[in-house]
Amino acid sequence: MTDLINQLPLVLGMAGDAAHASGGHAAGAHAGPVAGQLPSWVLAMPFLPLLACVLCGLCAVFKVRTKLPAVITVVSLAAAFVVALLAYQATMSGGAGAGQYAVVKAWDWINFQFGSQSTQSVVANFAFYIDALTCLWMLFVCGLGAVIALYASEYMSHDVGPGYTRFFVAFNLFVFSMACLVMGDNLLLLFLGWEGVGLCSYLLIGYFYTKPAAVAAGKKAFIVNRIGDVGLSMGIMATFVVFGTVEYTKLFELIAAGKTGAGQDLATHWSVWVIPALLTVGAFGKSAQLFFYVWLPDAMEGPTPVSALIHAATMVTAGVFLIARVYPLYTADPSLTVLTVVAWAGAITALWAATIEMAIFDIKRVMGYSTISQLGFMFAGLGLLTPVGAAFHTFTHAFFKATLFLGVGAVMHGFGGQLDLRRMSGVMWMKGFGLVGIAMLIGSINLSGVPFTAGYFSKDMILAAGFATPGTMIGGAQWVGWILLLTAGMTAYYTFRTYLRVYVGPKEFVPGDDPDLVDMGRHPKGTTLDEHHAHHGHGHGHGHGHDHGHSHGGVADRRLAHRQDFDPTTEEFDPHPPGLAMKAAIAIVMVLSVLAAGLYFYKGLPGGEHGGWVGGVVHASQVSGSQAVVDKAHGGTFFGQDPHKVMYYVSALIGFIGILIAAFLHGPKGWQGLFIGNRQKCDVAPRADRLANLFGPLTKLARNKYYVDEIYDALIVKQLWLTSHILHWFDKWLVDGLVNLFGLMPRGAGSIARKQQTGVLHEYALRMALGVALVLAIVIVVKVGGVR
Amino acid sequence: MESMLTLLWPEIALFITTCVVMILGQSKFKDTRDLCPGLAAIGLIVSGFLAWYFRGVTSDAVLPHLPYYGKLVICGVGLMLLMLVAGSADRELEADAAKGKPFEPIRSTRGEFYSFVLFSLTGLMLCTSANDLILLFLALELTSLPTYVMVSISTNRNRSMEAGVKYFFLGALGAAIFLYGFAMIYGGTGTTNFEDISRTVAAQAAGGGINPLVILGVVLSLVGLGFKIASVPMHFYTPDVYQGSSSSVAGFLAFVPKAAGFFAILSICGLVGWSHGVTEQSLPEGPRVLLWVVAALTMTLGNVLAIMQRSVKRILAYSSIAHSGYMLVGVIAGPGPSGADFERNGIAAVLFYLVSYGVMTIGAFAVLACLEKKRSDGSLDEVDDIDDLRGLARTRPVLGWTMVLSSMGLLGLPPLLGFLGKLPLFTAGIGAKEIILVLVLGINSAIAAYYYLRLAYTCFIESPETTPNAPKVVEAPFAARRWAGVISMLCVVGLAVFGSWLGNLAEIGATYRPPKYVQPAAAVVPVSAPTP
Repeated sequence: MTDLINQLPLVLGMAGDAAHASGGHAAGAHAGPVAGQLPSWVLAMPFLPLLACVLCGLCAVFKVRTKLPAVITVVSLAAAFVVALLAYQATMSGGAGAGQYAVVKAWDWINFQFGSQSTQSVVANFAFYIDALTCLWMLFVCGLGAVIALYASEYMSHDVGPGYTRFFVAFNLFVFSMACLVMGDNLLLLFLGWEGVGLCSYLLIGYFYTKPAAVAAGKKAFIVNRIGDVGLSMGIMATFVVFGTVEYTKLFELIAAGKTGAGQDLATHWSVWVIPALLTVGAFGKSAQLFFYVWLPDAMEGPTPVSALIHAATMVTAGVFLIARVYPLYTADPSLTVLTVVAWAGAITALWAATIEMAIFDIKRVMGYSTISQLGFMFAGLGLLTPVGAAFHTFTHAFFKATLFLGVGAVMHGFGGQLDLRRMSGVMWMKGFGLVGIAMLIGSINLSGVPFTAGYFSKDMILAAGFATPGTMIGGAQWVGWILLLTAGMTAYYTFRTYLRVYVGPKEFVPGDDPDLVDMGRHPKGTTLDEHHAHHGHGHGHGHGHDHGHSHGGVADRRLAHRQDFDPTTEEFDPHPPGLAMKAAIAIVMVLSVLAAGLYFYKGLPGGEHGGWVGGVVHASQVSGSQAVVDKAHGGTFFGQDPHKVMYYVSALIGFIGILIAAFLHGPKGWQGLFIGNRQKCDVAPRADRLANLFGPLTKLARNKYYVDEIYDALIVKQLWLTSHILHWFDKWLVDGLVNLFGLMPRGAGSIARKQQTGVLHEYALRMALGVALVLAIVIVVKVGGVR
Repeated sequence: MESMLTLLWPEIALFITTCVVMILGQSKFKDTRDLCPGLAAIGLIVSGFLAWYFRGVTSDAVLPHLPYYGKLVICGVGLMLLMLVAGSADRELEADAAKGKPFEPIRSTRGEFYSFVLFSLTGLMLCTSANDLILLFLALELTSLPTYVMVSISTNRNRSMEAGVKYFFLGALGAAIFLYGFAMIYGGTGTTNFEDISRTVAAQAAGGGINPLVILGVVLSLVGLGFKIASVPMHFYTPDVYQGSSSSVAGFLAFVPKAAGFFAILSICGLVGWSHGVTEQSLPEGPRVLLWVVAALTMTLGNVLAIMQRSVKRILAYSSIAHSGYMLVGVIAGPGPSGADFERNGIAAVLFYLVSYGVMTIGAFAVLACLEKKRSDGSLDEVDDIDDLRGLARTRPVLGWTMVLSSMGLLGLPPLLGFLGKLPLFTAGIGAKEIILVLVLGINSAIAAYYYLRLAYTCFIESPETTPNAPKVVEAPFAARRWAGVISMLCVVGLAVFGSWLGNLAEIGATYRPPKYVQPAAAVVPVSAPTP
């Protein structure tokens, strides 16, 4: 308690000298200058969102019915972004050497000795480890956080009141947890943030808690993540056992020296692959790789801003961050076993998800699977010894995937929750949706890897690494490269399949069935939406003041309230274009994802010759501890050519082929379908449908997501259910019975003793007298003759 | 004599207040009559200040700083008790007076009521100051006699009268037993002065053994004093009396006589001293065995009987019995090796736990005293059935939380006050090698969880009574009682966090000055020089 109070000024950033900043660098080949000491204001990065969280909590307490929580959130996250920029500036200005960092301590968190020696202690402070990698992540976490909060301020406005506040409380808590995860100076703080983002993800997926699917999806995400967390926590424990510390500073020093905590040679120690393997399990869980991916598509039940921020741009990249953060640990293994597994897992996941995407019709789910697929690329990048490529792809993906999600969200918001790509067409040409269409196009060309887009450059680095990395280092690296190349083509196809079906072509749509969203666009036949709203006093102007009768009750109340279903015979539906806040947010991320391409050409930083700015940043970070290994990962060829050069052309070609196939199968007639499409209605794409029939059962299999959920259900969930029932029976009858038996004993004793409480005065007196006699007798018997 | 007088200043201040309050209570004017509780509070505060001011003055008993600690906490807890009982007397009379009926002094019990409260507290203070068996006896009776009347007049129902009568007769029996014990101590030592007795006993112990009459006297005194603390076999009255009196007076009974009993028990045990046995740190075998058996039986019986109850007052009565058993463990453990810290000092543990228990139980009784049940004929009755508390935390959050925290505290759930109080009892018991007794204590804490958790569960989780015919529970119009509850709740949490000062104070109060055996000059036999 006193500790906390002593640290309070420090938390508030008032006492500059209280911030204990220490600098140093990892020993090793790439020793840079000692980092400058970072002042305590960098603590504002995690604590501004926390402050905003508390303020939003207060809004909930005081029952604020306005958009105040959104304002608080946007302002605080924007401020945190500025702090992140300043922190980046401060970190990189210290001489721009490799491996420089600073540790800024907020307060002592876990700090105790369990033995007399100095090594017998557990130290995990609430301290933040700030190096270039941290800054890179915090830049897009805070930046996108602010922009998406702006978007959400309008997107969630149909729920202003308790629900709105709840949303932003969880939103801010998420950013705080993410900051702990990214900035923590030890694995325990990372774990705290890891669980924190998991919790917020659960809370936000289940935001529409009256919707069973959302609740189930929240639970699924939470539980699947817990399985991964077993691996992560065991990995952290093993790290402590082997290295005697969980602090990065000491950990990296030991790894750079190639020693365990006990001074053994790390390269031959059992832990050299066990710890990375365990950590990788955690990373796979959070980043939805391999067997763990099942939670992410379902997580799309959450509000779209949540999907954009948490389930596309930031949280799901935590696994990538974890591996990048302790990359020296992964490369300490001379056989690179775990990285090989990571590479293969990434490639397989990318391909697997891409095949599903090609078949399903729900555009938000397409984006969900696409995220899994792109995360697969990032993991493959890590595995193929190009951490720069992985980090770069994470960075660019954050922006263009956020663009795509926000675009999809605008459509969902505008069309009554419609997400089926067969029910909409030509959205771009509808009133107010032009910007959305352009944003979707920009996002799509990024995702497809059209030349000179950010996604093109970042994906190329990973694809090239597949062929450049010798198979002697990463087993089957070539094959990984080929799988990724194939997946890149499929990516281009499914991306433009969505785009060409939904955004261009003949203007047609069927409204969705989300009652809140339908309300925004419905009006009786014969009137226009504006007239209807004017007539009913629905002051619009993006307050979405629809349904004033119970617009303050929150989603739950209104869903329960009686509501008339949309009746197509008497009512019409007008698409509801995004308002200023949503458009601004979409425009910002769109511009950012265009600008991100320019970063590839920024060679101003040392190490920037590979991957431009991000390359320089990663080079300056602790990942440089692996530089010796990464530098060896060259020499492979692509049909005798240097893959780094030839891949530009190959991937561009593959991408174009994918787009052309999409245009041929799904494109509308005319120029919008590049003159090769023949689709004339929104729900019929003749060539695609014929092709799907041709593949028949295969299509069905992919459309049903290979029945993975069903298989899991039968293999795991049902078995666990059975086991739990058996154990429950055992617990109820055997264990509880035994416990109850003991519990009955005092009751029995009580009911006997109770008979003595007769309430009759002289009986009491008699018993007292007898009791005195009895006690005296005991004393005398026990003590007979022994009075000393 | 002078030092004895300075020691008694707090008692004198309180006594003067008592007399003033008694007269004011009979006044014709309502404003004057209403001064009673305020004046009583001022008297307590002044008395507490005096206790603090004369903190350097020590009594010549074996626990020289007991008066200082005792009087300070008596004033503190006494203020809470005063808030708890305020308004108990004359409720109907005042209602009549408000309607315009003339005030009838003969019907009024207000003056007596507040002065009885203060008399009782004065007696309690005297128990700590007593340095003589006769003074101790008088102090004990001064503590108890007013409570007999308070029980009788606490409600105007017959069962209060019945409870009062029971309490009085059985109390007289208890007093007779310990008076008999006192007489035997006098018989075995030839003096009634504590200092002289302890010196004589030390001399007897040094030479051949303590006079069996003294041991018998101590044993009888302890058994008799068991009536005050409601320990086996003198516990029978407790539930009946608590249930018969009003909740606020029951709260008073739970602390004041118990405190008096423990102060007296500590003084009596101090006479023979914790300087016997193998370790030379325990009581003589006789009293030790007695206390051991009584402690084990008391806590077990209290807890198992509480399980069966539906009446909250009876639950709290049995809990009061059980808690006496817990505290006896500290008495058995004794002060430990000289200079022992708080964890090892059983007396400090008892003194600390006494306050903790008082604070927590006042909270529980305050909640009961704040609630009334409206019966079908419109008359008000105090709530007692556990069902009346259902969903209290939702319907009346302050009272509900007070009940939840009090019962959790009484249960000894960390990090609340009860845990902080109970922990030193365990450690002191272990330090004194009374392992089996500590095990019994632990098992009993677990049994106690059953009914304390039930209380908390009823208030916190169960939903309020909704059957239409159920008597409606309303709040009694006594703001002071609510405040007593709130203060108790704050203490249960606050003292657990910032209670170290109270622990230090208890440690001072527990300062043990073992009687020194001074070899009389006449007995000195010249030692013959060793022959070469």
